[in-house]
Amino acid sequence: MKKIVNKASILTLVFLAFTFVSNAQINKKKKANKDTENWRYEIECVGIGKPGTKVIEVWSYSKKATIAINQAKKNAVHGIIFQGYASGGQGCTAQKPLASDPAVEQQKEEFFDNFFEDEGKFMKFVSTSGDATPEVMKVGKEYKIGVVVTVMSDNLRKDLEAAGIIKGLSSGF
Amino acid sequence: MKKIFIACGLMLLGISLSFGQAKKPTLMVVPSDVWCNTNGYMMEFDDQGTKVKIPDYKKAIQENSDLLLVISAINGMMAERGFPLKNLESAMKTLSSNSAEDNMRASKESGSGVSESPIDALKKTAKADIIIQMTWTVNTTGPKKSISFNLQGLDSYTDKQIATAVGTGAPSFTAEIPVLLQEAVTAHIDNFAASLQTHFDDMFTNGREVILRIQKWDDFDGDLETEFDGKELGSIIEEWLAANTQNGRFSTTDITENMALFEQVRIPLYNAAGRASDARDFAKGLSKFLKDAPYSIPNKLVMKGLGRATIILGGK
Repeated sequence: MKKIVNKASILTLVFLAFTFVSNAQINKKKKANKDTENWRYEIECVGIGKPGTKVIEVWSYSKKATIAINQAKKNAVHGIIFQGYASGGQGCTAQKPLASDPAVEQQKEEFFDNFFEDEGKFMKFVSTSGDATPEVMKVGKEYKIGVVVTVMSDNLRKDLEAAGIIKGLSSGF
Repeated sequence: MKKIFIACGLMLLGISLSFGQAKKPTLMVVPSDVWCNTNGYMMEFDDQGTKVKIPDYKKAIQENSDLLLVISAINGMMAERGFPLKNLESAMKTLSSNSAEDNMRASKESGSGVSESPIDALKKTAKADIIIQMTWTVNTTGPKKSISFNLQGLDSYTDKQIATAVGTGAPSFTAEIPVLLQEAVTAHIDNFAASLQTHFDDMFTNGREVILRIQKWDDFDGDLETEFDGKELGSIIEEWLAANTQNGRFSTTDITENMALFEQVRIPLYNAAGRASDARDFAKGLSKFLKDAPYSIPNKLVMKGLGRATIILGGK
């Protein structure tokens, strides 16, 4: 009887520990998504890619390095749609965001919620570039992680045009 | 019965499509005068004692492969955005073949040639509603080379710069000029398309911007100062413009007894019948207004592309 109680206690402890860890993971992931929505990331151009692509370095923040690395792709696509980037070295010219109207994020909230859900459609338009070794910096209690990614900006633009989120150059003619 | 329904449906679709689309401007990439001058593609002629230089596009296209590469890259990227451009080389070839055909053409019955006035001949040039003027220079610092690239979208009628993308690429020791040029086009085309989009958005919100000129024939017995019910004809035309332009927006740049020039005239994209409108269509309304009583002024309406119209008072 005592053995059974011991085993049950161990199982309960393991279950509780597992739940705690996965909850913490989910919370960190939620925080990372919130950071994306709140524009808490930085993007910079690192070179001219092939036509129709943008090669950028995305700096994301998280207490857990792996979360920041995984969030980089989402932040990159979010940045290309809503933020654009300033000019820099390597012949980089400043780029305007694909969505010229900043209010579109709120107006098409349902579309973007689905688009940016974990492993969502945004993944179709981004890939890690080079050997994808992240640059890691410790800032206070958090990590600031830089990952170089390639965004297929032409395909992304066409997809948003087809969905009626942004206007194409020939729309209305 | 089913066929009638299908036919009606197709007709309705056709009507809605033709009414729903504004007139699409044509665009063409052209090397700038500065680029042509720097690279030796200019023609020089004597204009009554003054030496005048004009760009020789034909020579530039036939001799400079970098130019073809850049035009082709820009054309390709714009076509990919659903906005194919007119190609300068093709437009020039079409002009010369049309001209040759017109010279040879004769009526089967009378042997008469195709009529052409000096104005018709003058209008035979490669043209587009928006000219994309392109300039690049190769900068050399020791063994390093970089490209400064400048794209300007110019409205052929209002002379305004409506789109731009400009910048200098990263210096390179090894890359060849065509590679640097391709890179420059890739780096700038998105910004150029974005500024062009801003122009189109403004056009859809505030109307198309056109130029309207009023002139008079020498033998017209009135002028723009002729009074009708105590009002000068010039003021009557201004009132018509205020009533018919988008939000009454236009500027009277110049007005004398013989001519008037109205700039920044914002016309609606669609006329009262719901069809796509341009400067000529808009000016037709003013032309009819002046022809009708109480003014009864016969006039001639001439146009230039989508954005410029002139009404000449006193006859056809």
